[in-house]
Amino acid sequence: MTDAADPLAREIRGPSPQQMLKSRALSHKGLIFGMSVVVLLVLVALLAPVLAPHDPYEQSLMTRMVPPVFMGGTWEHPLGTDHLGRDYLSRLIYGARVSLMIGAIAALISGVIGTAMGVAAGYFGGKVDAFVMFLINVRLAMPVVLVALAVVAILGGSLTVVICVLGLLLWDRFAVVMRASTLQISRRDYIAAAQVIGASTPRILLTEIMPNVVNNLIVIVTLEMAHAILLEAALSFLGLGVQPPTPSWGLMVSEGKNMMLFEPWLVLIPGVVLFVLVLAINLMGDGLRDVTAPEGRS
Amino acid sequence: MLGTTTRSTLLAATLMASVAMPVMADKASGTLNVAFTKELENVDSYFNSSREGVVLQRAVWDGLIYRDPETNEYVGNLATSWEWIDDTTLEFKLREGVTFHNGEAFSADDVVYTVNFVANEENGAKTQRNVNWMKSAEKIDDYTVRIHLKDKFPAAIEFLSGPVSMYPDEYYAEAGPSGMGLKPVGTGPYKVVEVVPGQHFVLEANESYHDSPKGQPELARIDIRTIPDVNTQMAELFSGTLDLIWQVPADQANKLAQMDQFTVANESTMRVGYLQMDAAGRSGESPFTNKLVRQAVNHAINRQELVDALLQGSSKVVYTPCFPSQFGCVQDVTEYEYDPEKSKALLAEAGYPDGFSIDFYAYRDRQYAEAIASYLNAVGIETNFNMLQYSALRELNMKGEVPVSFQTWGSYSINDASAMVSQFFKHGALDSTRDDEVLEWLDVADSSTDPDTRLEYYTKALKKITEEAYWAPMFTYNTNYVFKTEVSYTPTADEVLRFVDMSWN
Repeated sequence: MTDAADPLAREIRGPSPQQMLKSRALSHKGLIFGMSVVVLLVLVALLAPVLAPHDPYEQSLMTRMVPPVFMGGTWEHPLGTDHLGRDYLSRLIYGARVSLMIGAIAALISGVIGTAMGVAAGYFGGKVDAFVMFLINVRLAMPVVLVALAVVAILGGSLTVVICVLGLLLWDRFAVVMRASTLQISRRDYIAAAQVIGASTPRILLTEIMPNVVNNLIVIVTLEMAHAILLEAALSFLGLGVQPPTPSWGLMVSEGKNMMLFEPWLVLIPGVVLFVLVLAINLMGDGLRDVTAPEGRS
Repeated sequence: MLGTTTRSTLLAATLMASVAMPVMADKASGTLNVAFTKELENVDSYFNSSREGVVLQRAVWDGLIYRDPETNEYVGNLATSWEWIDDTTLEFKLREGVTFHNGEAFSADDVVYTVNFVANEENGAKTQRNVNWMKSAEKIDDYTVRIHLKDKFPAAIEFLSGPVSMYPDEYYAEAGPSGMGLKPVGTGPYKVVEVVPGQHFVLEANESYHDSPKGQPELARIDIRTIPDVNTQMAELFSGTLDLIWQVPADQANKLAQMDQFTVANESTMRVGYLQMDAAGRSGESPFTNKLVRQAVNHAINRQELVDALLQGSSKVVYTPCFPSQFGCVQDVTEYEYDPEKSKALLAEAGYPDGFSIDFYAYRDRQYAEAIASYLNAVGIETNFNMLQYSALRELNMKGEVPVSFQTWGSYSINDASAMVSQFFKHGALDSTRDDEVLEWLDVADSSTDPDTRLEYYTKALKKITEEAYWAPMFTYNTNYVFKTEVSYTPTADEVLRFVDMSWN
C-alpha cells in the first residue's frame, strides 16, 4: 500500500472501498502492464483503417518478402512484406481485429453458456447439479483441439465457424468455477434472508449471487479469451481456421514457416505479437483477481 | 539444483544424439544421400502413382525401349529392335544375356507374364491409363515377343519407353505386388538392398548391368529417406547428412544458390497449372456457364507476374491446356492478356457489375493459389478459399461440385497432347466443360495414326477450347535440384531423377 506509512491518517480520512480498489490496482504492476497492452491493441484493432499504411489485401508480387526496417528494409514497409508482397505491418494491424474479435466473442458465448449452467447447478443443487456435472464431464472428456479440428474440417474454415466452435467448446471452466462459487455463497445467511422475505429466484440470482461471483467470472473470461486466441492461431496455422486472404496471426506464422530458415522475421513478428497479447491478457486476468478477490486483500 | 541436473542431462542427450548421427556421406564413402518429400506407398511401379515411384522405377527396372531424354530418340533397351506387324500388333526382338538382380535370366516369358498381368484390369494396376491400351502379349520364341493392342494407339512406343517396365515372371508370380514392393527385383542399373515402406530405401549399383542405353551406374550406393519438411531437408543439407534434394521451392533455391557449396539446377517439367471453371454448370447455378465470365477470369490473371515472381526458373506462360512440347499442342490459340479493367467490364456485361462470391478450391502450392485468388478478388470475384487434399478435391470434382479450382497436370511426362487434353475434354468425370464438338475432334485425333490428321484435329479442339475460355491455363512448372558441388548431374526436362547419370566430381 502506498500510504501504508501513515496508517493513522488513512484511518481518519477513511478511504472509500472504490479508492482502496483503485490504489490496489495502480500498485499492481502486472495488471497495469497487461491492461495497457490490451487497451493499446484494442485501440489498434479499432483504428486499423486509419493506422495501417497499406491495404492489407493488396498484392504486389514484384516486391515479395522485403525485409523489415531493422533488417535492412525501408520505411515504405516498416515490417517488410509477406510472400505475396502484402505489407506486413498492415496485415498485423488487421490481424489484431481477427484475434481480438475471436477471443472476445468466443469468451462471451462460452461465458454465457458456462455461467448459466454453473450458477443454476450451484444454486438449485440436486438433479440440476447432477445433470450439469454430467454435461461438464462429457465436455471434459473431449479434447478441445481434436473436436475443433474435426468440426472445422467438416464445416470448412471461416471466421464464423471458428468463433462458434470455440464459443461452444470453451464453457467448461466457466461452468466449473461458477458452480463452485455459487455453491459457497448460496449457503450464506443473506441468501436465506432474501429467500425469507420472498424475493423471486431470478432476483436472488441476479442481485444477490452474481455480484458476489463476478470477480471469479472476470478472471475466467480473460483466461478463456487468451485460450481462444491461441486456439484460433493454432487452427489457422494448420490451415483449418480463418482462410486466406483474411489476415490472421496464426495464418501469418504458417505462411512464413516455409521460409523460416532464411527469413525468420516472417515467423518471428506475428509470433512475438501473439505471445505479447496472450501474456498481457493473462497478466490482466491475474491482476484483476488479485485486486478484487476478498482473500487477496492482504 | 534439480533444474541444473535436468539441463545437463538434456545437454548430454543432445550431444549423444549428434554423435550418433549417421556417418557423413561424401565422395569418400561412396554413398549419395537423397531426400524424398512424399511417402511412397509401394515401390512396385505399377502400384503407385507418384513422382518418387517413377524415380525408383527408372533406377530399378528397365523397359523394352528407352527414350533418350536429350534427343527424344527411341532406342532399344531390353528389346534390340521392334516393328509394327499391323496397326495393333508390335513385335520385339529381345536382348540376350540379361539377368535380373536375383539371378533369373530375362526372356520372352518375363515380358509375356508382365504384360498379361498388368494389362488385366482385375489385378488393379494403379494408373490404368499407362497399361490399359495393351490387350496381351504372346511368345514367339525365347527372344521374340508380340504385344497386342486393344485398339490403334499411336503413343504405344512412348508408353513402352516410360511407365511399362519388365518384371521377372517366376519371382513376380510368387511375390506379387506387395512382395515386389518390399523386395523389388528388376534388371535396372541399381538393385534395392533395403526397404522400410514409405520411409527409407537403399540402392546399390548393379555390377553386372547389361550394355544399356541408360549407361553404367557410377555411384556405389544411394540412401533415400522420406523427409516431408523442406526446412528439415535444408538443415540436413547444411549439416552434411544429405547430398541431394529436389523439388525445392524457388525462394529457397535462390538462397541456396548464393552459397558456393551447392549446385542449383533448374529444369522445366511438363506440369501445367490452370484454373478449371464449371462451364457445364454441373455445380448448380454457376456464373462460369457464361463465356463472358470465363473470359473475365482469363483477363484477370497476371500470368507473367506469377511466372516472374513466384515460379521463376524455366517456367513459362501458357494459354493452351497442354504443355507446348507435346505433340499436337499448337501454340497458335486465343491469348488473354492481363487487363483487370477489361475483366471488370466483361463481368459487368455478363450481369455481374459488382462481381460475385464463389467457392475456390486448390490442392497444392498454396502460395500460388492465394496469389491467383487475390487476382480474382481484385476484379470483384470474391473467393471462399478451400485447400483440400488431392484425393478429396478429385472426388468433389468428379461429382461436379467444384465451381472453380486451381489444378495442375503433369501428363505423366508423356510428350503427346492426348495425355492432357484428352484426359479432361472427353466428357469424363473430370470434364467440367462437356463440349460435344471438342469430343468429336479429340476422338478423331486420338485414334488416328496419321500425324497430319492428328495435328489438324488437336488444333481444331485447342482453338475452340481457348476461344471459349473453358479453362484459364496459366503457367508451366519447373523443378529445382540442389546438390553438393562434389556431385555431378545434369537434370532432364522430364522431372525424373536419374541416379545412373550422376557421378562424383
